[in-house]
Amino acid sequence: MEAAAASPSALRRTRRLADRLGDDGLRLLTGAAAVLALVLIGGIVAEVVGGAWPAVRRFGLPFVWHGTWNPVFGREAYGARNFVVGTLVTSFGAILLSAPLAVAIGLFLSELAPPAIRAPIAAMVEMLAAVPSVVVGLWGILVLGPFMRSAVEPALQGVLGWIPLFGGTPSQSGVLVAIVVLAMMTIPITASVCRELFLGVPRELREAAVGLGATRWEMVRDVVLHSVRGGVVAGVILGLGRAFGEAIAVTQVIGNNLRSAHLSLFATGNTLASQVAASYQGAGSSLEVSSLVYLALILLAITFAANLAAQRIVHRFDVRQRGGR
Amino acid sequence: MSASQPGAAVSLRAAGRSRRRLRANVAAEASAVAAALIAVGFLAVLVGSVLVRGVHAINLNLFLKGPAVFGQSGGGIAPALVGTLMLVSLATAVALPVGVLVALYASEFAPPRVAGQIRLWLDVLNGFPSIVVGVFVFALAVKTKVPLLGIGHHQSVFAGAFALSIIMLPLVSRTTMEVLALVPAGLREASYALGVSRWRTVLGVVLPSARGGIVTGTTLAVARAAGETAPLLFTCAISGLVVSWNPALSTASIPVTIFQYSESPDRQLNAQAWAAAFVLIAFVLATSLVSRILLERSRRKLGVG
Amino acid sequence: MKRKGIALLAVPLAALAVVAGAGASRQSAKDVVITGAGSTFVAPLVSVWTPALGSAFGYTIQYSAVGSGAGIAAISARTVDFGASDAPLTPDQFSACNGCVQIPWALAGTAVDVNLPGLVLPRNTNLRLTGEVIAKIYLGEITRWTDPAIEALNPKATIPDLPITVAHRSDNSGTTYNFTDYLSSVSPAWRSQVGRGIGVSWPVGVGANGNSGVAGIVKNTPGAIGYTDTAYALANGLRFAAIENRAGRFIVPSIRNVLAAGDAVKTVPAGNEMHIVNPPRSNPTAYPISTYTYVILPTKSPKAAELRKMVFWALTQGQQAKYTAKLWFVPIPKVVLVAAEKTLKQVELAT
Repeated sequence: MEAAAASPSALRRTRRLADRLGDDGLRLLTGAAAVLALVLIGGIVAEVVGGAWPAVRRFGLPFVWHGTWNPVFGREAYGARNFVVGTLVTSFGAILLSAPLAVAIGLFLSELAPPAIRAPIAAMVEMLAAVPSVVVGLWGILVLGPFMRSAVEPALQGVLGWIPLFGGTPSQSGVLVAIVVLAMMTIPITASVCRELFLGVPRELREAAVGLGATRWEMVRDVVLHSVRGGVVAGVILGLGRAFGEAIAVTQVIGNNLRSAHLSLFATGNTLASQVAASYQGAGSSLEVSSLVYLALILLAITFAANLAAQRIVHRFDVRQRGGR
Repeated sequence: MSASQPGAAVSLRAAGRSRRRLRANVAAEASAVAAALIAVGFLAVLVGSVLVRGVHAINLNLFLKGPAVFGQSGGGIAPALVGTLMLVSLATAVALPVGVLVALYASEFAPPRVAGQIRLWLDVLNGFPSIVVGVFVFALAVKTKVPLLGIGHHQSVFAGAFALSIIMLPLVSRTTMEVLALVPAGLREASYALGVSRWRTVLGVVLPSARGGIVTGTTLAVARAAGETAPLLFTCAISGLVVSWNPALSTASIPVTIFQYSESPDRQLNAQAWAAAFVLIAFVLATSLVSRILLERSRRKLGVG
Repeated sequence: MKRKGIALLAVPLAALAVVAGAGASRQSAKDVVITGAGSTFVAPLVSVWTPALGSAFGYTIQYSAVGSGAGIAAISARTVDFGASDAPLTPDQFSACNGCVQIPWALAGTAVDVNLPGLVLPRNTNLRLTGEVIAKIYLGEITRWTDPAIEALNPKATIPDLPITVAHRSDNSGTTYNFTDYLSSVSPAWRSQVGRGIGVSWPVGVGANGNSGVAGIVKNTPGAIGYTDTAYALANGLRFAAIENRAGRFIVPSIRNVLAAGDAVKTVPAGNEMHIVNPPRSNPTAYPISTYTYVILPTKSPKAAELRKMVFWALTQGQQAKYTAKLWFVPIPKVVLVAAEKTLKQVELAT
């Protein structure tokens, strides 16, 4: 406390002035940071829309479902359909694979595993969420791809070859490899979310069900899963959003095919993100550049939609969710 | 349940519907355990591959030399290590203060509805694909004809760090906001009751008690930024064969190097990619571990969890 | 906690000081850094030039092999000091580049690599292919190696019955331009259906990034076929095919044969754009998929003096066998050299 050299009222005045300046100053500073963050988001959207504008003006909305992508000088034609289809197929395929596994892991870690190994495995799953996508892609090219080509795809073809999805030549780059890679990346996220949700279900509910004679599986199915189904769906959709936007690992393993998707999952494909990553830097004409940014705009839109949907579901089911990645 | 006759033994084995339910239970539990173990096994194989193959390729050359001339052996990833260090440090230097300030505004000064909006838009930013962030920074800072503080107009560590800081910002902010929310109201009220002004309270009382969570959020963000490739592809990917400490120039980085070497047929470059991945994963795992420990500690300090 | 934190920081910082010391010892304060980006085709040669330029002039070359397309874009935006492309600039690209010149500074062949385990050939011969057959393979019309068209060209060889995996570039590439230039000139079907460019709409195949990516697919996939700069085929032990030229001979991309193709240029057109694919039959040993590769310089540059020194060195010293022979690059013929040096004079210091 300062020595009372001046009169008490003068002291009060200077202190109040300093406080007011400090308060306003801090409010201004932090507010400016918040405005900066919001301006940044707006800036990103504006830049993407602006960059895509020449292509938007030239092709309009039909760009989304046109299937030709021809950068040859004199014959240029661009359309997003193959990439949109590729993005949807790989991402939905990935969560088809990863969602049940992630729920299983969540159940395993919250109900079924012996308590001693729960913590280490939970920690391992969380750390796996932090593995960078380029490392998963490296593994995909050098380990998973050859394994898929020599073992998994022939086996699938042997058993399910009559379905066109599994026809075609086994290949170490292709849609199926990309699906597996994306599944590897989304499992940890969704599993962590599921585990926390399951742990959050009140004990009384669980005990009540068991007390009424339910088996453990029935308790899990009818009480635990039922009460957090909104959160689980939201977690799955978050994984979907991550899969939509993954550029690096996908472009390493998918084979970068510009033509329409073949029916076979073994064939090469392409996604919005991977095409932007592969071609943006070297685009030969300004029309190609803005078409690529148009692809990025479509990607932004569907990722935004997925995230928004996940948030809506969380709100609607009023589930406490831990900072979704 | 079997019908009871006076004097007859009662079987305790389930029958009919109960047996079916029990069987379903065993089947469901078994498949859940199997699925979980398969999935965890696959993930373990991924990390295991990196560890095993990466360790094989680690030698002193890797850390001291730059890439070898085409076709020759004995190169290293020294420029990439230095580059990632510069990129992540600069990105943190930007993202940490801005992120904390945004979180402070949302939790201390903003009306609840605005705070909710901020949280929402930060989540939106978090969900932006990182390739889009790369395109944005490229268009803004690399292609622009007006040099931005001397950093514009060519690929540079500054541009790459800017892109990474955009990725880090929502992570730092959200974690900080969560930790600030955990600070007991009583602490703030006590401070005001003693006549301390708002700004002194926030900076001197609230922020220090949230310090652990802030560090946690930052380490998580650092782990994420160290591994991001897409934002760097267009903003900081041109590099030479020697270590460069100049942030106005572009330089190599670990994730971009892994990306470039992963598609190469050269077994040596593949080996260097595994080694770089090993270093990266070790770093990411270490920071994740540290952040979890710190999170536990700060939670305990705040009396939660 | 604070002291522990500082101590923890000290360890990695010390480690990095060692790394920095080791690496930075090569760079002195006088060094000029010249940045470039572009063609992966010429990257091997630039890579062997880099230490030589460092010891000759003290230049540090930072070259990024991101593909010819990205190189053209980068130099057009002046985000690098020079660009490198195997594809000549289109008129649109020239105007977008706003005052650039293209200077041929290297010559090599694009090899057609194959991976055929179990292939048995007569001694000292390569698998024979014609342009028509390659075009059909890349159009997806020929899908197995035992197709009659291929067997007819190689009667004395035993070809394994593998499906053909076609490899191509996923990024915009000058090597693609060269390859599709060749296919367009030998196959009307290719010309009408696909055409030529740094990026095309490939009917079939697997795409990868850079010359090394295509080499990677070929190396790792039995039954694969791909097109790369010859240096990548050599460095990775890939087999390449002997391609039929207009004289009816089956030719490999050796130095002599590529030189024969390069010599097909009698006068260099203004602008330096040269097409030497499918040369006329007056050059009987010419390799049909050869190309000059260009360095793209702005006519006004703050580093004009250094760039001129660098490119002049490349055109003269850099063509010596000690740099080019192992990579199967070919010393530029005199008539092209003269034109290149004349164009180089247009590069001036920006005021």
